[in-house]
Amino acid sequence: MLDFSILIDYSDMLWDGFKVTIVASLIALVASFIIGTVVAVMRITPIAPLRWVGTAYVEFFRNIPLVVIAFFFFIGTPAIGIRFSGITAGTIALSIYTSAFIAEAVRSGILSIPKGQMEAARSSGLNYMQTMRMIILPQAIKIVIPPIGNQFINLVKNSSILALISGADLMYQADLISAKTFIVFDVYILVALLYLIITIPLSVGLRYIESRLANTY
Amino acid sequence: MISFNNVNKYYGDFHVLKNINLMINKGEVVVIIGPSGSGKSTLLRCINRLETISDGSLTIGDKAIHDKNTDINKVRQRIGMVFQQFNLYPHKTALENITLAPMNVLKKSKEEAKETAEFYLGKVGIPNKASSYPSQLSGGQQQRVAIARALAMKPEILLFDEPTSALDPEMVGEVLDVMKTLAKEGMTMVVVTHEMGFAKEVGDRIIFIDEGQILEVADPVEFFENPQEDRAKLFLSRILNH
Repeated sequence: MLDFSILIDYSDMLWDGFKVTIVASLIALVASFIIGTVVAVMRITPIAPLRWVGTAYVEFFRNIPLVVIAFFFFIGTPAIGIRFSGITAGTIALSIYTSAFIAEAVRSGILSIPKGQMEAARSSGLNYMQTMRMIILPQAIKIVIPPIGNQFINLVKNSSILALISGADLMYQADLISAKTFIVFDVYILVALLYLIITIPLSVGLRYIESRLANTY
Repeated sequence: MISFNNVNKYYGDFHVLKNINLMINKGEVVVIIGPSGSGKSTLLRCINRLETISDGSLTIGDKAIHDKNTDINKVRQRIGMVFQQFNLYPHKTALENITLAPMNVLKKSKEEAKETAEFYLGKVGIPNKASSYPSQLSGGQQQRVAIARALAMKPEILLFDEPTSALDPEMVGEVLDVMKTLAKEGMTMVVVTHEMGFAKEVGDRIIFIDEGQILEVADPVEFFENPQEDRAKLFLSRILNH
């Protein structure tokens, strides 16, 4: 049957990987949310060049594999003299990739706000950015929490691409352990459980935020 | 104060406003009436550039609204607008709805904005609703908060876009009463409405518009008792005798 003694023998490596996965995911979560929101606003602004850049960004990054972006920042950029560690390259790639999906979610949330909200705020003298920040985005957030939650969960799982660019994450450590011990099945079962330890509370937390927001007004 | 000179507006091939010439003076209450789709709301929305005009000139005081270089945010500070659907901010309380623009546009302190907001909530007759969210208010109360929100900016002009059309009939009166008070106090008002009683009682001038053209400009009593244009006669007979 399953042999979880490896958990004890290699607990340091697993713990290190677990920490890297959490830190990389958290940074990418915050970064992708900020970038995604900015790109979403760009995609709907009346200023055409900004709209084009926003659209190009989304269409480019959500339509190429995450691994390609990760490889670009790990083994591509050194060609022009910029070197990132595996963790950094992976976190950047995760942030960029996820932000393209978040931008689409936020954009649809913004578009679902009745246009009278924008008109009322603008006609009182607020400028476009003030209106976005104070009136539109706070209402849109409530609508986009569920789709964004899905993206965050995907992000945690996608962080396993760090293993491909020696990012020292959970998946990377699991590969090392199984290569060393020739125990494959048990190690990956264990790793799956460790991912669940991150993603399940994330799901529950997002559902909690969703229900809290639903009752605010 | 507000001056339309040969204003035209097109949506693609559709000619929404046709050669509009109109002067609105300070302190005047101008009521725009006409069948639906006649362009009356569009005419109103051009005044604060919620709609842009295609050609002609539109000025408010010395500010050219049609000029792209005019800082429209500055002009909009002086023009309040009240909408058919109220358009209150649902995530903010009545008080926050009213203090938002004074604090963020006029840079008033929170205390001063709050004081002003409470004053105007009192003026529109709902001083005890400051901490209510729009969803907790009736339509009539929401529209009165919307009027208080417009007034808190101390505007020189108030625009009303069918302010009572989305209200239950029994709430129309409370909103019209507030508007009457404002008119008596000398506020410059441009009102698009189907409330003929209000138009007759409060209006200084009636503008009758159809298919994008101003067909008749008249004194209210004159207009309702002795309309000159056939189209106006037909319109009045339809809405007054049902």
